Amino acid sequence: MLPQRLKKAVTDNPKKVASLIDIVNLPTMLRDFMGQSQSSQLSCFKRVWGYIKDNNLQDPVNRNVVNCDPKLKSILLGKSTIDLTELPPMIKLHFPKQPGS
Amino acid sequence: MGRIPQAFRKVAAQSPVSTLLKAKTSSVLQEEKAPPLVPHLQRKKNFSQKKPFAKNDSAAKTTVPSFFFESANLSDAKSLFNSFISSTTDAPSEPSFYNSILQSFSSVSSVQDSIFFLNHMVKQHPPFCPNRFTYHTLLKQACSSADEQSLSGVHNVLNLMTNSGFPPNQVSTDVAARALCECGREEDAVELVKELSTKNSLPDTYTYNFMVRHLVKKRSVSSANSFINDMKDFGINPDLVTYTIMIDNVCNTKNLREAMRLLRVLSEKGFKPDCYVYNTIMKGYAHLSQGGDVLGVYKRMLDEEVVPDHITYNTLIFGLSKSGRVKDAKKFLQVMTEKGHTPDAITYTSLMNGMCREGDALGALALLGEMERKGCSPNSCTYNTLLLGLCKGRQLNEGVKLYEMMKKCDIKLETGSYGTLLRALCRQGRVAEAYEVFDYAIESKSIPDIAAYSTLESTLKWLKKAREQGLVV
Repeated sequence: MLPQRLKKAVTDNPKKVASLIDIVNLPTMLRDFMGQSQSSQLSCFKRVWGYIKDNNLQDPVNRNVVNCDPKLKSILLGKSTIDLTELPPMIKLHFPKQPGS
Repeated sequence: MGRIPQAFRKVAAQSPVSTLLKAKTSSVLQEEKAPPLVPHLQRKKNFSQKKPFAKNDSAAKTTVPSFFFESANLSDAKSLFNSFISSTTDAPSEPSFYNSILQSFSSVSSVQDSIFFLNHMVKQHPPFCPNRFTYHTLLKQACSSADEQSLSGVHNVLNLMTNSGFPPNQVSTDVAARALCECGREEDAVELVKELSTKNSLPDTYTYNFMVRHLVKKRSVSSANSFINDMKDFGINPDLVTYTIMIDNVCNTKNLREAMRLLRVLSEKGFKPDCYVYNTIMKGYAHLSQGGDVLGVYKRMLDEEVVPDHITYNTLIFGLSKSGRVKDAKKFLQVMTEKGHTPDAITYTSLMNGMCREGDALGALALLGEMERKGCSPNSCTYNTLLLGLCKGRQLNEGVKLYEMMKKCDIKLETGSYGTLLRALCRQGRVAEAYEVFDYAIESKSIPDIAAYSTLESTLKWLKKAREQGLVV
């Protein structure tokens, strides 16, 4: 019984899945950060989160908050601190819905 | 029965080892049971000539010159064979060696070319005389071409067999039927089985039940029924296994009324329902969470003096736990032990699941301790069930402890427990930890990245909303 549910959860919404894994042309500021001109939303998120971890940008007192360094700042609307809760919607901003897709 | 995976069957049907062991054609029955006994070493050797992209070829250790046919080109294959025969003085005499060469070529070529190649081998190297397996290789190839619409290729091979002194027998029927079903040509398989039945090679019970099970699974119950009816004309009637297959199918489609009807039919035909039949029906009720009916089946078993096996008890405990009758389920854990069956991880996991549903997550955790004391090691499903139960039961701290332990032991997370753990962590504002769980889920390849990410995303979205409404701090 469980496998059925599992399958459903992943393929629930093909459009949503596509929006996460479709490779699109990145806006200029993201290109500098990612070092590549094309990427998907999912791998972009993973890259940013990996960057935060690698550079120890999480606030030592409240690990839910990230203190952005200049490079990170440039892609997160220039904010100096950001809550981890905000991260996925922030990334999503760079991947606007494509008309007609 | 035909529960053996195709890979094994292939070994049984084609492996020269079985030829050596049981002079010439082994009956299908032996073939069915043989696979696990095939000596490993020899199989390796014989497989070294198999198709280059075969699953088992990682195990291939070449001891004899190997034949890897990369091109489907007939003349290339011929010259490769010629050079081998002329270069060696002591070419193996047993047909199995040449059969595997043929098999290797047939995996890349067309049926027609395979036949030409076989003729060529016989001509170039007269000591080799093709046996039944040689022709079954061709038959299998002819049946395995998925895009072919008619059975003419298959008929060609069958005619060739008859002309070479090997008229199709039960094994041929079995090989053909399985190969056809394998590549989705169920209708052709039915047609061929019927046709061969008229030519005195009736399918045996294994082939017959394989067909029924395949039709029920891939086509429809009605197609299976019409096959059963047609086969009655040849004097083949459904047996207990056939009925079990049908009952299993209707149980999976939640049609328990039909299952009970089949049970009656089965008794009328003079079969005595065995443990498997009852287990199947019990499973049907268990999935519908009808605890009372699960118990009913158990009582009926006892009335009919069918001895329950440990699967019966596992199903019983699963069904009762699922329908919220944990007390009864616990009672049967006792009964089970008294009857001499050792409860396994499945038994305990079902029970834990029931306890967690009742909100007794800590009790389930205690059961984990008991289980380990009794020497039964939990599996990943056990841990996931517990993790989900603990997180749902607001025992997050225990849940996190369990998660840390799972992480240490590299136990994968399941979608359900992953999502629940994320939500529980976020509810308490432990977003950073939720991110770490996300990392672990991806790193351990527990669930697809997309699923892991979209769960994280939606959980955070929910958290934001809840915060705005002042529900969560």
